[in-house]
Amino acid sequence: MPRWGMAVDLDRCTGCEACVTACHAENNIPTVGPEEAARGRAMHWIRVERYWEGEFPDVRLTFRPVFCQQCDNAPCEPVCPTYASYHTDEGLNAQVYNRCIGTRYCANACSYNVRFFNFHNPEWDRPLDLQLNPDVSVREVGVMEKCTFCIQRINAARIDARAETEEGRIEDGTLQPACAQSCTANALVFGDLDDADSRVSRLSRSPRGSKLLEELGAEPSVTYLQKGDWDESGGG
Amino acid sequence: MDRRQFVKATAISGASASLAACGNPEEQLVRFISDEPLPPGLAVTRRSVCPLCPAGCGVEVRVMEGDVEVVRDGVRGIVKKGLAKKLEGLPGHPVNRGRLCARGQAAIQVTYHPDRVRQPLRRTGDRGSGAFAPVSWDEALAELAARLEALLQDGDPRGLRFLTRPLRSRRGVVISEFLERFGAPAPVVVDLFGDAVLRQANLESFGFHQLPTLDIAQSRYVVSFGADILGTWNSPVAQSVGYGELRQGRPGIRGKFVQVEFRMSQTGANSDQWVAARPGTEGFLALGMARAILASGRRSPSDGGRAGELIEGWSDGLQAYAAEAVEQVTGVPAATVEQLGREFADNGPAIAVIAGVPLAQTNGLFNALAVNALNALAGSVGVPGGVRFTPVLEGLRGLDAAGETIETLARSILETPAGGAPPVDVLLVHDANPVFGAPPAWGVGEALARVGFIASFGSFQDETSAMADLILPDHSFLEALVDHVPEAGTARAAASAARPAMRPLHDTRDMADVMLDVGRRLALDLPTEWETYEDVARERFEALPPPEGFDSAWIAAQANGVWIGPEAPVPEPASFPDVRPRAYAAPEFDGGADAYPFHFLPYVSQAFLDGSLAHLPWLQELPDVVTTAMWSSWVELNPRTAAELGVEAGDLVEVRSAHGALQAPALIFPGIAPDAVAMPMGQGHENFTRYATGRGANPVRVLAPTVEPETGGWAWAATRVTIARLEGAGDLVRFGGALREHPDLER
Repeated sequence: MPRWGMAVDLDRCTGCEACVTACHAENNIPTVGPEEAARGRAMHWIRVERYWEGEFPDVRLTFRPVFCQQCDNAPCEPVCPTYASYHTDEGLNAQVYNRCIGTRYCANACSYNVRFFNFHNPEWDRPLDLQLNPDVSVREVGVMEKCTFCIQRINAARIDARAETEEGRIEDGTLQPACAQSCTANALVFGDLDDADSRVSRLSRSPRGSKLLEELGAEPSVTYLQKGDWDESGGG
Repeated sequence: MDRRQFVKATAISGASASLAACGNPEEQLVRFISDEPLPPGLAVTRRSVCPLCPAGCGVEVRVMEGDVEVVRDGVRGIVKKGLAKKLEGLPGHPVNRGRLCARGQAAIQVTYHPDRVRQPLRRTGDRGSGAFAPVSWDEALAELAARLEALLQDGDPRGLRFLTRPLRSRRGVVISEFLERFGAPAPVVVDLFGDAVLRQANLESFGFHQLPTLDIAQSRYVVSFGADILGTWNSPVAQSVGYGELRQGRPGIRGKFVQVEFRMSQTGANSDQWVAARPGTEGFLALGMARAILASGRRSPSDGGRAGELIEGWSDGLQAYAAEAVEQVTGVPAATVEQLGREFADNGPAIAVIAGVPLAQTNGLFNALAVNALNALAGSVGVPGGVRFTPVLEGLRGLDAAGETIETLARSILETPAGGAPPVDVLLVHDANPVFGAPPAWGVGEALARVGFIASFGSFQDETSAMADLILPDHSFLEALVDHVPEAGTARAAASAARPAMRPLHDTRDMADVMLDVGRRLALDLPTEWETYEDVARERFEALPPPEGFDSAWIAAQANGVWIGPEAPVPEPASFPDVRPRAYAAPEFDGGADAYPFHFLPYVSQAFLDGSLAHLPWLQELPDVVTTAMWSSWVELNPRTAAELGVEAGDLVEVRSAHGALQAPALIFPGIAPDAVAMPMGQGHENFTRYATGRGANPVRVLAPTVEPETGGWAWAATRVTIARLEGAGDLVRFGGALREHPDLER
């Protein structure tokens, strides 16, 4: 049984936001328009946060892509009165849309602000709807949604793997969520954390690695690798 | 209406709607039989090339069947069709290596856009009013052919012009050949925020009239003078792939990245060292670095070769560029200049690159030549980890700006005395929107209004196609045969080709096929074997050497999505233009510093580029990464400047230059100099689909028509402005900081 996780190399991330659009395209995330966006209702399962430090000209700006951290000890799960948010065997914080009754407790409990509520039924001006991915359900009004690590791709890869090999193992690197596949600087790496040789496992053990808001004890499955420093002797 | 009434009303209207549908068979949708054999529920993969910028990233298209509403023989119905569902970068493509940027991901919305022009249109209202009525292709083409025939009969074929964006496909050849056989001048290539200045500098320094390919992956030190290498400039995906490797791709080696600019860009945010130099002085800084290298004895002037000789004072060790002088001119501390020079020389292979604001100045060419000289001095040209030039494939070269520009064309039309016949009677427009993008002083809109007849191949109504008498809508890139030869981004020659990924959604035709059709109607002497555009594209590909395992490069290109040339050394340039060494001249700005205290720095938008992508809803709702703004325009002010002016975030401000004024909300931005303001391009469309029309302000409206004198390139960053606070707040929507549960804390 794999345990899915992600490593985000902040030394590679350029803030280009290819991940953001790729996620919209893959997961049928609606655009809400300027009025709703102004009320804080824009939906981006993955976003790039930015942090300013200092004053001109000694000013720094750093980026951090943030999405559901697929916590092992997820605060969003126990608060759901209908068990719509639950933990899968593979370590994902899943959301069962047709169980969700829209209490939004999970969004309040989430420390990472990565859950998004459908305040309206989603609309696509026709024929934009022809682009919708048939592998992903469209969420209705009153339902909470969030990053799934592209569960539809995981499921498809599992079916392929079972057809191809005896033990049905998904080989490292054959499966990527939409964000990681598009990532222009190869900053997002996805894979099985229980496979010690997978790229994501190796990166997650990096001395540069840390978890987001680690002290909260949510035990995220996402490791952030901090920016390196330039060292003229060649290291870094 | 109370609840009871509401339930009653909906029950009645619902019932009557369904009854009505039952009673009227014409309201029921018929299911037509599909003629596309597609496996139900399974995805097939096809290939294409992203058309949104000149980089030419290879694309993999996921195609699945879906239901599409159509009208066949006057009957509405639905039919199963292969539909593009998702775009990915094409693995193995030498430019983007399986990756795709945010804009490329959104390119699919071009095809499915609700406001696409779905059939030929003829203008019914005033020019620019946007009033059009559908017309058949036969009628439309007959009308266009008649207008052109009249020109031929009058004996004045020079009254035809073709406006296009730069093209890197064989479509450019179709246009050029058509115009030549017709007897008309060469096409006018509209590339307002393009790189004409840099191409000229590269020609003078290195003998290549093209943009550089940056081998960032193998480099150890990269200095970018204003170039948005990770965002929008040149081949951003190729450069970002390289950047990832520069940083963490080699065990034990982590390259350094330095950005020089006056306003922090997305690219600048990623730098290890960010250096603020005054606009237009970047070349001075580059030569300050070169002088530090020479003075330390790390290199000698002869290492600079020809590129060095183009700089006055080079052989004497650049005495005029001492670090203290550099500090005075650029504002960069002398110690930093020395440090950058030393590091650049000691950490090769090193890359210096220049683009954007430093080139859009009255001394833009000199700035570029200075950076070229710095590269040459460090031995960075033509080596792995340095600056290279992609081998050029003759006959597959596209159309770049040369000769007549939109500025000279507009002037020649406007200079015609009233009552006289303007020099342009028929204008064809392909994928260019100069009415939106050119500075108002050029009068492009007024000039177009005087042209006898305009036909546009646009897929959308925009400010320029709204002036057209006929709109002959092109296919989207997913519906067309595409080919593309990248100018940069790959060390080996490459040419992409792909068949249509899906069948046309609407009644559109390929621009090149329309040109060939009109050519036949006019009996122009075009090659007889050019039946369709496919013949034109195939012809040149078949002359390329086929890769191993293939009989023809055309088949190989389609099978792999790209033909990659053999590993070959870059040919030596045959000859260099004869130019004299140049000396630094201070940049000149439109508007005096007293009356107009702020530099105005418009920048190519991460989401919309120059504005050509403002119609895509995913990009409108994409939070700009450095500001998190969506669906908006804004003016960036340094916090200190804002405090002095009494401006707070979201307040409406007026930006005024000697050429015009605009209003937009203020955004407090720590990464900009106190005496500069910046604004993204792309919004402020008057007519560009439901998503972009009437949204925000267009910074171009206040820009001076200043040009770089030697190349004629538009100096779009050479305008100075005043800022004034207005009453009230502007429409500024931001993603960051919005608390979902506290609508009272909006904005």
